[in-house]
Amino acid sequence: MAFLDNSGDIILDAVLTDTGRMRLARGDGSFKISKFAFADDEIDYGNYDKGHASGSAYYDLQILQTPVLEAFTNNTSSMKNKLLSISRTNLLYLPVLELNEVYDGSTTMHGDDYFLVAVDEDTQTQLQTDSIAGRIFGATPGSGAGYVRVDQGLDTSDISPSNLLDADLTETQYIVELDNRFASLIDTAGTQMASVSFIDDDQIASYYMSLGTDNLFVKNNEETATIGTQVISGPRGTYLQFSFQASIDLNSSTFLFTQLGSTVTYGSTSYYYLDSVVRVTGATTGYKIDIPVRFAKKV
Amino acid sequence: MATIFKSFLNNDVAVTRTLLHEAIPLTGTIASGTYTADANIKNYAHGMFQSVYDYPYLSSSANHIFDVTVGFSANSNLSGTTHNSEAQQAKKINLYTQMAQILVGHDETGTVRDFDQDGDLSGGIKIKEAVFINFARLLGKDELKKGSFSATFLTGGTPGVRAPGNTNHTQPITINDSGAVNDYRVNSPAGEYGILYSATGSQVGLIYYQAGIVVLTGAVFGGDRKESGLGGGFGPPASGAYGPAINTSAAAYDISTNSSSYDAYMTGAAGSISGAADAVRNCLQSMAFNNTTELNSTIYFCRANHSEFNYSSNPSYLASSKLVVKNKTTDMPVSYITSVGLYSADNELLAVAKLSEPLKKTPTNELTLRVRLDY
Repeated sequence: MAFLDNSGDIILDAVLTDTGRMRLARGDGSFKISKFAFADDEIDYGNYDKGHASGSAYYDLQILQTPVLEAFTNNTSSMKNKLLSISRTNLLYLPVLELNEVYDGSTTMHGDDYFLVAVDEDTQTQLQTDSIAGRIFGATPGSGAGYVRVDQGLDTSDISPSNLLDADLTETQYIVELDNRFASLIDTAGTQMASVSFIDDDQIASYYMSLGTDNLFVKNNEETATIGTQVISGPRGTYLQFSFQASIDLNSSTFLFTQLGSTVTYGSTSYYYLDSVVRVTGATTGYKIDIPVRFAKKV
Repeated sequence: MATIFKSFLNNDVAVTRTLLHEAIPLTGTIASGTYTADANIKNYAHGMFQSVYDYPYLSSSANHIFDVTVGFSANSNLSGTTHNSEAQQAKKINLYTQMAQILVGHDETGTVRDFDQDGDLSGGIKIKEAVFINFARLLGKDELKKGSFSATFLTGGTPGVRAPGNTNHTQPITINDSGAVNDYRVNSPAGEYGILYSATGSQVGLIYYQAGIVVLTGAVFGGDRKESGLGGGFGPPASGAYGPAINTSAAAYDISTNSSSYDAYMTGAAGSISGAADAVRNCLQSMAFNNTTELNSTIYFCRANHSEFNYSSNPSYLASSKLVVKNKTTDMPVSYITSVGLYSADNELLAVAKLSEPLKKTPTNELTLRVRLDY
């Protein structure tokens, strides 16, 4: 996409997304705009110079000169970083989401920074035999292998974790986006599949999981001490944990692996693999993290 | 409670309708003469019409501009047995009938009406032999703008493909639909239409605005070839050959050698539809009109009140959970808007709008961004 002409009046370049067009074509009334959000995807707040010698008028000079790209029609490519409405103006800290790899040995990623999801039992067995780190059993989830845990709170040492996180900053609902061709979400014990809210035109499935409703997935973090199993240094809110149930396509076929992936060797065994990303977003605070996931199948 | 979405209220959404016009100037060189061997002219095996492109039509870059065809009514003298050995007689009748039933409709007995010179179907002079120019929707869009059409044909001189240095074409005649803004007809099943006039005020055809079709009487192309009583017409040039070359056979268009055949342009050995279309194209000096696109728009007023959208979930907004735009709690938060997302109730992004430059949002200002979606 090109940059928008910013030499004159402010203009607004609006397009329907691919999902919007799909819903419009469906003609079933599902194309109904009911709310809006603002985003600042192009902005790097690192350019906000609070110490500018010329004064506060120059703090955001660089930011205001940021060129803005034309609109993407791909619905998953836009509106990454949304603006937040919080009535209080005196907040100095905002909560974040962090991947907790230190909770126990099961939440650790592979050394190359991804979770390794075995899509069939052969692969599970081989990865376990070879003690490959970061493995998640996608064929028989909950059988003692790894899972993903995301913690929420104020990750600052300026405030003690014994303080409670303000209620309006506590995340109560998470959105997990995952390529539906590869896997589905399941709880860490492998007993309950998560319900898909919708699958978009790019086969990205969105799961909405709420505190109090999806108790196997979203829980209050009641740990208030500074201990080694926590990644949030300050006040803690909730955490989300889940595992993956590999799709039948990946379990029984190598088609997607050969089309979208390649092969790799762990130990002395070769595997097909394909890389993907799972996005976790806080529905309340809008903060998000992308978690790299590698799906593997023994050759 | 922190929120990232804001719901639209009833007064945040407005529906409007706008008519957008574009000027479409077409030079005669596009219709003939720009490309060697008429590479931008597409003829079909069925021979019932000819398509004009703005570029050699075999290229994917070519855009369809208009089609040309000719036809005559079953009530025309040309449809009689005298002419039944002439080229494509049946197809010309079929084409006329097809266009007439779409554009003029049927009478109370179910019979297809002929095109009428002044739009008064109850009587008067009928256009029984016609040239049809059908504009592609790519150019015509939703409709042609009333009162904007004009075309200039070169009606004298020796016919032939116009080329630089060829000055044989003379006698330019301009026709237009002047006054159609306030004077048009609505008794067509194909929508509104206007009357085309020559510079002398003669009624020489019809223009169907929604259909994007121009119907020219055959009389346009020769003074003696007009229907009896049509009046005016372009008439023969002051001297020299009569023309132009609706039929590329000189004998056919030249009234001095073919005076008995006022309808020669549509008959004779060379009077095929594509031959007649060739001649019409080669006579065209210029053509222009304005098209109309009807934009139905929904305008969403995205209002950011002073207490809203002052924080960001941008990862660069925080350093160790601390806002990078604040030093202390009493500093005002600030955020910058570059995008507006329009969402469904289930949080699917249905439309997105981008600002050309970042907009600063603080608790001391309020913004209303007007996002228009056109359908």
